Amino acid sequence: MLRLPALVVEIAVASTAYFVASILTFEVLTPVQDLFFVDFYSSASLLFLPHGVRVLTAWLLGWRSIIALLPGVFLTYFYLAGMKAFLPSRLAGIAIAVLVAPIVFETIARLWRDIRPSLNREPCWYCVMGAGVISAIVIGILTNLAFGSPPLDYFAFFIGDVLGLFVLMLILMLVFRQLRKASS
Amino acid sequence: MTDISKITELRKLLLGMERAMGLEDLSAVERDIYYAASELASRNHGVRTTGLLSHDLMENVSRPTFFRALKSLVNKGYLSQASTSRRGVYMVNAPQV
Repeated sequence: MLRLPALVVEIAVASTAYFVASILTFEVLTPVQDLFFVDFYSSASLLFLPHGVRVLTAWLLGWRSIIALLPGVFLTYFYLAGMKAFLPSRLAGIAIAVLVAPIVFETIARLWRDIRPSLNREPCWYCVMGAGVISAIVIGILTNLAFGSPPLDYFAFFIGDVLGLFVLMLILMLVFRQLRKASS
Repeated sequence: MTDISKITELRKLLLGMERAMGLEDLSAVERDIYYAASELASRNHGVRTTGLLSHDLMENVSRPTFFRALKSLVNKGYLSQASTSRRGVYMVNAPQV
C-alpha cells in the first residue's frame, strides 16, 4: 500500500513536470517552430515534450501515473483554454492524455513482455520508445476524434509526440550524465 | 514497485540509451556492479561490498577486477562511500533533480 506522502510527492513531481514541459512547448518551442515553418499546415507542436513526461511517468508509476498526471494535464488545459477546459471534448482530451500510456504498457505486458521497471530486469530504453510511439498513434487518433480536427493534424501530433519523447529522454540523459560528472 | 527508487530506475534506463549512443563511460564489469548495487540498494540503505561480491552478476568476476571496478565507479560518481557507516558500505548515487 502506497503511503499518502509518497503519492503526494508523485503527484507534485509528475504534474509539475507535465505543466512545465507544456509551458516550454507552447510558449517557447512552438513560437520558434512558427518562425522556421511559416507555411506549416498545422498549429500542432512538432516537439511535444509533455508526451515524454506522460510516457516516462506511465513507465515508472504504472496505473498510479493517471492520478499523478491528472492535476498537471488539467492545469495545462485550463492554462490554454480557460473555462473551455470543461467542455466535453477537452475533458475527453484530458482523459486520453492520462489513460493511454499506462494502458499501452499494460497491453504490451499482456501481449508481449513486461517492460516496466523491475528488480530483475534491465530497463530497455528502445522498448519504452516503442511504447511511446504506440501511445502517440493511439493518442493522436483519439484526440483528433475528440477535437474533430482535420485528419492531417494527426501526423503533426504523431511527429510532435515521438520527437518530444526522444528529445526529453535525450535531455534527461545529458542532465544525468552531467550531474554524474560533476559529482565525481 | 514502491520499493524501487524511481530516480535510479530512470537513471538505469537512460544509461542504456547512453550506451546505445556510444557515450557510456562504464566497462562491462563496472556496469554489472552498478546494476547489482542499484538492485541491492533498493532493498536496503546502502550496499555492502560482501553483498555485491555474492551477487549473481559477479559470479565470473575476479576479486582484483571487482575492486578496481568498484574504485572506478566511486571515482566516476556512480557510487559513494557511506559517510556515517562502517567501511565497505556504498550508496548508489541518484542525482537530485
